[in-house]
Amino acid sequence: MSSTLLPEEQATDSHRHSKSSQMRRYGFFPGCVAKESCKELFNSTMLLADKLGIELIELTAASCCGASVVNDTNRDIARVLNARTYAQAEALGLDDVITICSTCTGHMRAANMELLESEERMNQANSILGKFGAKYEGSVMVRHLLWLLIDDIGLDKLSSMVVRPLNGLRVAPFYGCHIIRPEKVNGWESARNPHSLEDVITAIGGEPVDYAGKTRCCGFHIQLEKDGVATSMVGQNMRIAKDRGAEAVITPCPLCHLALDGYQQDAAARWGRTDLPTFHLPQLVALALGVPAEKLGLNKHLIDPRTILVERELIA
Amino acid sequence: MAQVKLDIFRYDEAVDAVPHRDTVEVDVPVTMTVLDALETAKAEVDGSISFRRSCRSAICGSCSMNINGVTGLACKTPCKSVMNDEGVIQIDPMPNFQPMKDLVVHMDPFWDKYTRLKPYLQPADRDEDHETERRVSPADMKKLVDAANCVMCATCYALCPVVSVDPSFAGPAAIAYAYRFIEDVRDGKKKERLAQINEDYLWLCAHCYACSYCPKHVDPHDRIVDVKRATIQEGVMMDHPGPRHALVVNKTIKKTGMLAETEVIQGTVGIFNIRGLAKITPLAIRMAVKGKMPPPFLRPIPKVDEVRTIFESLEVPT
Ligand code: SF4
Ligand code: SF4
Ligand code: SF4
Ligand code: SF4
Ligand code: FES
Repeated sequence: MSSTLLPEEQATDSHRHSKSSQMRRYGFFPGCVAKESCKELFNSTMLLADKLGIELIELTAASCCGASVVNDTNRDIARVLNARTYAQAEALGLDDVITICSTCTGHMRAANMELLESEERMNQANSILGKFGAKYEGSVMVRHLLWLLIDDIGLDKLSSMVVRPLNGLRVAPFYGCHIIRPEKVNGWESARNPHSLEDVITAIGGEPVDYAGKTRCCGFHIQLEKDGVATSMVGQNMRIAKDRGAEAVITPCPLCHLALDGYQQDAAARWGRTDLPTFHLPQLVALALGVPAEKLGLNKHLIDPRTILVERELIA
Repeated sequence: MAQVKLDIFRYDEAVDAVPHRDTVEVDVPVTMTVLDALETAKAEVDGSISFRRSCRSAICGSCSMNINGVTGLACKTPCKSVMNDEGVIQIDPMPNFQPMKDLVVHMDPFWDKYTRLKPYLQPADRDEDHETERRVSPADMKKLVDAANCVMCATCYALCPVVSVDPSFAGPAAIAYAYRFIEDVRDGKKKERLAQINEDYLWLCAHCYACSYCPKHVDPHDRIVDVKRATIQEGVMMDHPGPRHALVVNKTIKKTGMLAETEVIQGTVGIFNIRGLAKITPLAIRMAVKGKMPPPFLRPIPKVDEVRTIFESLEVPT
């Protein structure tokens, strides 16, 4: 396969893979939601890592990435909180930090970009970290598990590991804004026409559903702001997915998961019933790789995903 | 020269019950813009095709439309970059607006939102009291130029998912333009402006960055964040859910290092806001049944005092 690559593609390709051959240990930043209301995401990520033969070393003293909210009040605090996390990763000899939340990915990458492109900001961060003896050298790269699956494991390898293919289950990808936009922060793939989730769905034997809602917003961050708005954003996107024949949804973002899983029922009044079960990315991949369904926390979802899995004879 | 096939949305609100589509073929160099192709179609094939345009160089903001489902300026989009192998380009009016005729839409809601924000300078003192014009230092001006570059093309407004479900949201362009006056040192109505923009649902921005496709690099989302920070700094509307949410999140992170979901929900909705809490209760119960409730109290992360040091080093006392 690599022989067909042009020289510059080979260069980028080898850049992306440079660490994969020796290094199978990653710094792991689960984020608050995977530790609080979406523990099933944390657990299925660890089970998936086992299957993949990689070691995710949790940065247990890391703080919240601050999301958009700390940024709304004080950009400097948001940036330095993340610098502290990166310093911890470096101290453990881990410069590859893996996330499992679209929002964490976007905000942590933005903070890192700001630090790396300005000596002034880096100095500001280090002068504060210095107060408790920490220092960020600037070596960390933040990536989502989704990108790790494609860059470090590889789609061919992934599909060769599948023991329980999804039988053509029609899965709608829901990216979550911050893993793709703004492009200058993420830039791993086209934000207008991403296909990493589709590629993973295909690799594990599902059939990706193409629909206009896949790169749109679920409204999570404004759920408490005004009645019905976020609910409607969920309803609108799930309606399109359902009308395009989706049987389930997959998302790399636990916030999107909370919104999609939690609000479809309330959205039915305006958008009709959709009832699409929503999988966390690692749940569905782990299932295909043979992790027993009972271990994936599928019973924690409000819209029970086991019904469609039984129908499609994927679980008993 | 090549054949470009424009697949155009056609509709006239005065006569048509439903829209239809026409395919119009024109011969234009593929390096020409979609607007050029439309002009050629109008001049040579069908004079009734309607669209707005003036400057043809991304300055007037008239020609925003959907090109293959992506909103943008037709005069800034080369045919080459959007035509498929058969030379087809799909053209539709901007979403989030009522179509009027073909690619022309009713812009009124968009202008109304600007007007409400009084998009002109309101100085604190009288002109007569000044010897010269009011001067602005280059540093102060620098903060405004990005936002002032807005050409009011409404691309961002058309892309905004919040506008699409709730038209009462001021939308990205109007808030970015409000910022341009809020941060203008000559303006005397900062607090009033902030209060107004908060009333117009500043905090309803969902942080989705769809508006980052602004053709003039206004980056409305980042201006919205600037206005939120100004709101908190000036202590305006602190009883609204938006500022309350921001403050309680900061508080829980400072205390535990983590975002404590339970406390954040209570802090945002207000623990004494029975109506507000009642509304989220059905979902809360559904989640509790599934064992999905976040823990009521969080154990702080290891070395949480470091997090506090970061907050304390950077918090500007208010
Ligand atoms: S963005 Fe959300 S999930 Fe990620 S660390 Fe911050 S609060 Fe937690
Ligand atoms: S879809 Fe919503 S919750 Fe998910 S990342 Fe985007 S803004 Fe955040
Ligand atoms: S902010 Fe940008 S996209 Fe929005 S109206 Fe102004 S120029 Fe157009
Ligand atoms: S970032 Fe905010 S204003 Fe911009 S498109 Fe998204 S919701 Fe609308
Ligand atoms: S014609 Fe003026 S912006 Fe396109």
